[in-house]
Amino acid sequence: MNVLVCVKRVPLTGGRIVLTDDAQAIATQHLGFTISPHEECGVEEAVRLVEQSGGESVVLTLGPAEAEEQLRDAMALGIDRAIHLVSGGDEWDPQGTAAAIVETIEAERAAGVEYDLIVFGNESADAGGYQVGIRVAHALGLPVATGLKGVVVSDGSVRCEQEVPGGRDVFVLPLPAVVTVKEGLNFPRYPSVPGRMRAQRKPVAVRSPDAVSPRLAKVRLVSPPGQKKEAEILGHGPEAAPRVIEVLQKIGVA
Amino acid sequence: MSVLVVVERQPGAVDELSLQAVTFARALADGAPVHALVVGAHADSVTPTLGEHGVTTVHVAEDEVFASYAPLAVARATAELAGRLRATAVVAAGSERGNEVLAHLGALLDLPLAANCVEATSGDPARVTRLRWGGSLLEEADLHGDVKLLTVAPHAVSATHAPVADTSVERFAPQLSDADRVIRVSARTQAATGGVSLAEAKVVVSSGRGAGSAEGFGIIEELAGLLGGAVGCSRAVTMAGWRPHTDQVGQTGTKIAPDLYIACGISGATQHMAGCKGAKAILAVNTDPDAPILASADYAVIGDLHEVVPAISAELRKARGA
Amino acid sequence: MPVSALALATVAAVALTLFARRALLVLRLVRMGAPLPRFDDLPKRVENETTIVLGQKKLLQRVVPGLMHAFIFWGFVVLFPTILIAAIYVIDREPGLPAASPLGWIEGQGWFALLVDLFCLLVLVGIAAAFWIRKVQRPNRFQGSHLGEADLILVLITGIVSTLLLWHASQIALGLNEWGADWSPLSNALSGLFGDGTATEALERALVWAHVLIILSFLVYLPYSKHLHITTAAPNVFFGRTRAKGRLEPLDFEAADDELRFGAGTVPELTWKGILDTMSCTECGRCQDVCPAWATGKALSPKLLIMNLRDHVFAEGPKILADESFEPTPLVPNAVTDEVVWDCVTCGACVQECPVSIEHVDHIVDLRRHLVMVESRFPAEAESMLRDVERSGNPWGKPQDERAAWAEGLGVRVLQPGSRPPEVLYWVGCAASFDERARLSAESTVKLLLAARVDVAILGPRESCTGDPARRMGNEYVFQSFAKQNVATLDEAGVTKIVASCPHCFNTLANEYPDFGGRYEVVHHTEFLADLVARRRLRPVATDKTITYHDSCYLARHNDVLAAPRELVAAVGQPVEMERSGTRTFCCGAGGAHMWMEERGSAINEERVREAAETGAGTLAVACPFCTIMLDDGVRQTGRDLRVADVSTLLVEALERSD
Repeated sequence: MNVLVCVKRVPLTGGRIVLTDDAQAIATQHLGFTISPHEECGVEEAVRLVEQSGGESVVLTLGPAEAEEQLRDAMALGIDRAIHLVSGGDEWDPQGTAAAIVETIEAERAAGVEYDLIVFGNESADAGGYQVGIRVAHALGLPVATGLKGVVVSDGSVRCEQEVPGGRDVFVLPLPAVVTVKEGLNFPRYPSVPGRMRAQRKPVAVRSPDAVSPRLAKVRLVSPPGQKKEAEILGHGPEAAPRVIEVLQKIGVA
Repeated sequence: MSVLVVVERQPGAVDELSLQAVTFARALADGAPVHALVVGAHADSVTPTLGEHGVTTVHVAEDEVFASYAPLAVARATAELAGRLRATAVVAAGSERGNEVLAHLGALLDLPLAANCVEATSGDPARVTRLRWGGSLLEEADLHGDVKLLTVAPHAVSATHAPVADTSVERFAPQLSDADRVIRVSARTQAATGGVSLAEAKVVVSSGRGAGSAEGFGIIEELAGLLGGAVGCSRAVTMAGWRPHTDQVGQTGTKIAPDLYIACGISGATQHMAGCKGAKAILAVNTDPDAPILASADYAVIGDLHEVVPAISAELRKARGA
Repeated sequence: MPVSALALATVAAVALTLFARRALLVLRLVRMGAPLPRFDDLPKRVENETTIVLGQKKLLQRVVPGLMHAFIFWGFVVLFPTILIAAIYVIDREPGLPAASPLGWIEGQGWFALLVDLFCLLVLVGIAAAFWIRKVQRPNRFQGSHLGEADLILVLITGIVSTLLLWHASQIALGLNEWGADWSPLSNALSGLFGDGTATEALERALVWAHVLIILSFLVYLPYSKHLHITTAAPNVFFGRTRAKGRLEPLDFEAADDELRFGAGTVPELTWKGILDTMSCTECGRCQDVCPAWATGKALSPKLLIMNLRDHVFAEGPKILADESFEPTPLVPNAVTDEVVWDCVTCGACVQECPVSIEHVDHIVDLRRHLVMVESRFPAEAESMLRDVERSGNPWGKPQDERAAWAEGLGVRVLQPGSRPPEVLYWVGCAASFDERARLSAESTVKLLLAARVDVAILGPRESCTGDPARRMGNEYVFQSFAKQNVATLDEAGVTKIVASCPHCFNTLANEYPDFGGRYEVVHHTEFLADLVARRRLRPVATDKTITYHDSCYLARHNDVLAAPRELVAAVGQPVEMERSGTRTFCCGAGGAHMWMEERGSAINEERVREAAETGAGTLAVACPFCTIMLDDGVRQTGRDLRVADVSTLLVEALERSD
């Protein structure tokens, strides 16, 4: 089966988020980057599905030139080829992102490549829009299940498990379908060095989609208020235990 | 001008987050009527609660597909209703399902959706403030579209009463195609573990790599058990294979909102804090007085969790006269 | 041709053929290994050969067993001509060797006869000592060794030497000696056992034949037992590492596809030196004795590691040589278990002890390289560290822009791109940047350097991990990308001299970065500070507090930095040494990336803390951030009353006293 997985390059923030002077972005000068966590599991799932059933796996990203790093990382896990939709550097809004992806998938169709399964992360770690996968599914006329911790493909359909309090809800969708997955779906493998070296030579197709005016347009980023609390130090070491009990009783949980 | 709220319910009650969404919608509507859409059987048992929170009309969509959760069908029904009401905004809770249904709606209507808003002022475009990085960062944005679609970040507002006299109920059968019915829950599997669910626990005790090993979590489990709470962990712990992903607290794990969160040996990375900022109170146990978590915690004990946690458990037992 | 000559020729031919066939197999097995450049540095190699082989230097690290072996070894060297002489005399009782020929000349030399007697005696003393050690003392290091083989060889050697002595004695009794009998007092005395009649004549023949036959059986037995070391040890020492002990040899990822090697997964992927190592093991167990993992009940014994690899080489090697299509089986878990590979803390105590220059740490790292880089098979808890170090630039996974947070308010210059290069760059290391206990030593060091008015600066967020944890775990690929990146940063900043607090950073910067074009003068902070104290630019006031100093493996053993930290300790308090100190130090347990791995069995750090507490000292001084963390943990876990502090912190306190 042919599987397409879509990923986004996001920075690895630490204990606090520092903004650029113009408040348009996070200051990333000394930060590392990664594929957004839910999507890492999506990449692993795509690799496994193609390992099991044959076919081709493809990774796609809409991002700046540096996002090629994430494409190579995905190919190091075993993805066969990559598509890089180069954005200007500004982040695109969910509708724009979905439209660019749909355009690419339709171009792939025209070239004879049909995807049985298209995998997204449930939401990206940074923007948290929760909608790109669903929009792509609608545009392509495909069913979509979201927030999945379990994906099992068999015989023309996919069994999707969505975690809810107390258990999991099951959706069964006919293929081709779109799924959006969550971390916990699987444990992404650690890439082998031969895999990484092969990934350097795998093909990356580059396209430059035209940006459209965003309909959810970022104005600026703001640090949430009330960040700097002063934690009341109840004590040092085990001697603090009695004070802790007092607090627990005050809160009403002891 | 009216605002439509898509309401989620648990059996017999309206979900708390949906009541928050109704409250938010009222502010957005600024006097205009607030409608609610409910699906599923016995839907009108929730009408009194919704009326208390300011809903003028409860619309019940009826179809056999709504016997289980079917997000596209709900979105289709919402689209139909919103069109009929000429709603200027559609609002839902920023829960997993709220976001899902509204994303479907946005796709059906080709309208933008602002997910997890903490503030919104009407206008064209509307100015919204929404969550990024699970809440560790906020974004101010302009939301365009003839109908403003947005979901409300959990606990961004508290649900408040604004009783409406004579909340009416209207039923309708939405026009659903076969394709609209494909995406629906066909079965439910029960979770293997019993005990307190992490997302609903009133007390959560968690640890990071400082626990040292899977066995190191024994003292955490002990304290959680004494407090009737659940055990959580950081992402590093699940990656090390010490605890299952269902125990992970964080932006990509479970988001918790307990009365008390006791975080032991957890430094306070933003992706972890995004999962626990809903906690009413946070107690940090850490050897590092400069750890970032202390800037988000209400209380702290500076010390080694291997010494402090058993001491708290022992003191707790003593206080209970055991 | 005399019958005796024919007989000798036949027996010798059989023996030599058996020996040669096996020797040839051994040679072919070694040559099957992957390439490794150990052909440079000739003068140093000759020096090592002289001191370690001829001089038995490493064996003599333990005096009694060292002398035991030295006597036997030197005995073999001195007695070698007698073997050749005996072979000739087997053919003819009175061969009449020309005095001008080498053998003819030496057999007439009285001093040589004296030496022969002396060394025969010493060999016998050595054998007696060996038997006493093995049968009476029974040290634990022999656990797992093939004791039967050793006993047999000792018996054979006894046979060789006693037949030689008795043969000489019988020659003297018959007046056949070419040397003055007074020169060989022992043989002379023994000659009294013999008459001068036909019985003695028969005995003389029997003894020389026995002597030669025992030697030939020894020769045949040699390559089929651990005594192969007799031939392999000398080349193994010659080809041992000549450069810094702490330097691991890099892999070449740009090699052609058929030469590309990602560590050792199967026998042919072992380096030829690695295979030679396995053939050189004498099963003496000294490595096992000093291994901190073995000492705390873990699966790893360096001796058993090498023995198991050797057995696997001999099991599969010949099949590989015979049949090109034979698929070699993986070394892990068939020869060595995963546990053994991961138990190692790369402390190097084994390599230090080994008398035949086996490089156990190289084996462990080579096995790890394959497991990590090809099979992605390693302890799960270390996976986050590997991912973090690659993505965030440090093994703590904290954002690099927080790296200089510890230095806020101390007034130390943070280099920006284009800044004036400092005289000295202080390389802080990830531990001191991100761990609250390790941070203290960085704060102390900076305070001291600034107080002494050193022109010092730090790189701040542009300092990323040196890559040591990744390299020790076996991820050479990730390590090399760090090395290249850091060298570029350092060169661009114009850095020429570096002071590092962390011995792992120090080792990597000083010994491993030159392989990637980074050439800097690198000193450990204790060396730099000791120099400042010696030159009175810092004037500490000592107290009467007793302090015991724990040598960090990467400082003391891998880099021989022993004196400087001790000078500092003596300048601030009353030093008292632990038994396992200096290059014999006992690891804290964090090396080999163990900071990030769970420990099975009892704890190495607790063992070391116990030893420190036994000295009665109140303070345990360290010079490494990992040692600081591990030993402090050990103190807390065992509830001892011991303060763990970096030498630099003690020095700051000593300076404050003088104010």
